Amino acid sequence: MIEITIGIAAITMFGMAVIMSYILGWANIKFHVEVDERVESVLEVLPGANCGGCGYLGCSEYAVAIATENAPVNRCPVGGENCAIQIASIMGVDVGKSVPSRPVIHCGANLKDRLGRTEYKGESRCAAANLVAGIQGCTFGCLGFGDCVIACKYDAMHIVEGLATVDYNKCIGCGACVKACPRSIISMADFNEDKIPSVLCSNMDKGKDVTTVCNRGCIGCKACVKVTDLFSMERDLARSNHSLYVSEQEGAALEAAKKCPSNCIGFVGRNPG
Amino acid sequence: MNYLIDIFLISLSAAIINNFIFYYFVGCCPFIGVSRRVDMAFGMGCAVTFVITIAAFLSWGITTMVLMPGAPLSSFIAGFFVSKESAATVDLIALSYIVYIFAIAFSVQFVEMYMRKFFPALYKSFGVFLPLITTNCAILFACLTIMSNVAGVENPADAWDLGRSLVFSFFGGVGFTIAIVIMAGIREELDLCDIPEPFKGAAITLIIGGIISLAFMGFTGVDSGIRNAITPVQEAAMLESVVPVQTAMVEPNLQQKIRGIND
Repeated sequence: MIEITIGIAAITMFGMAVIMSYILGWANIKFHVEVDERVESVLEVLPGANCGGCGYLGCSEYAVAIATENAPVNRCPVGGENCAIQIASIMGVDVGKSVPSRPVIHCGANLKDRLGRTEYKGESRCAAANLVAGIQGCTFGCLGFGDCVIACKYDAMHIVEGLATVDYNKCIGCGACVKACPRSIISMADFNEDKIPSVLCSNMDKGKDVTTVCNRGCIGCKACVKVTDLFSMERDLARSNHSLYVSEQEGAALEAAKKCPSNCIGFVGRNPG
Repeated sequence: MNYLIDIFLISLSAAIINNFIFYYFVGCCPFIGVSRRVDMAFGMGCAVTFVITIAAFLSWGITTMVLMPGAPLSSFIAGFFVSKESAATVDLIALSYIVYIFAIAFSVQFVEMYMRKFFPALYKSFGVFLPLITTNCAILFACLTIMSNVAGVENPADAWDLGRSLVFSFFGGVGFTIAIVIMAGIREELDLCDIPEPFKGAAITLIIGGIISLAFMGFTGVDSGIRNAITPVQEAAMLESVVPVQTAMVEPNLQQKIRGIND
């Protein structure tokens, strides 16, 4: 009797499998929906980091946007140019110019350059320290508690001598640090070359006020602006026009950096190789 | 009339009194996971109700046709090999778990394909929740409850028919929807509240779920009260055997005591 029960159990399972797979197979043909096959192939090319750097919710959403809404193909910061070329060949469009966008920290003063610091015993987060006045003289510069380090998922942010620094070899340009900084001293810049010149200061105060709070602050002397149009003035602060820079202007940029009395123009970017 | 009372009490008990989430604590995963916004929670509740009814239909059919002792299909096949009397004793209830999971997965797949073709907007709004229902224990629970009420009863006349099974599972899904929508409404308000950091997210949700569950305990006994109220006294003795699921859980002595007080 037990053999019969086992046999019928096997027949039952087998029969159910046959019937249900038959119905599902029939439904698969009957209810077939045309899916754009380009979505799948674009999704294969994308790196799958789901970082959101492109401005869409994830890689799959970006793939759908490329295939159906003609979204630009060069938005993926992780895959970079290589990825954009492959997507463009799938979609049959031109790549356009793809320039990596990376964060630049507009503060170059490490712990001993920042004057007027007092002891701070609160929660050691920039967002908390930014709420109280008087932790350091400069109200624009880096606080050095590393909210950007916590925000960075790629281990590309570090605090070196009390100053946030970007490891451009690890950075993929997702922009999480830009959002994390409560003082907004980090901004995204187009890197036409491996290294680009940048003004390492965010202090908009007059020169006299800047020198009392920082050894490396921009005093608004306009020396760099007179040398090259890579720099422009915004109130009493020099700003660098990152997207204008190409390698031929390296000499002019170096000269501007040399002329800067407070030495706050520097080259940022990854080391070649 | 008795049948209508039965249907009414089964639906009331499945939806409110013995709510799947607040009484049996099944289906807690989507209850915590998808109860962030009311519209999403309502969508999830509808999807569960939909799938649970189809799965109940399938599992009732499979149980009565194949699995239970003396089921027509299995005893027909066994009849080729052994005598009719012993063929009727073939018992495949041990297969119920795997067969029900099979049936649930099948119905979810089928529903997904159907919706993708004919209701693309609904399909898009369900998103990932529809495949997730495959592993939702509330649905397996409904199937197993139906199984125990079809194959596990002493008197064959008490066994649930298809109508009772479908009503039970449909209103179980309705109860699930009620629970998850209540939770989502509370959680939307919670976003504006000043919650201590360690309690944020799932922790406060679990605490609130526990408190709502306590509140739902207040419905206990409503069904037997209604049954006593609408059933004449002499018929009540006859109905003694047709005990709805929920009162079967109460210990017999206690039940008698309650009866005594009511009389």
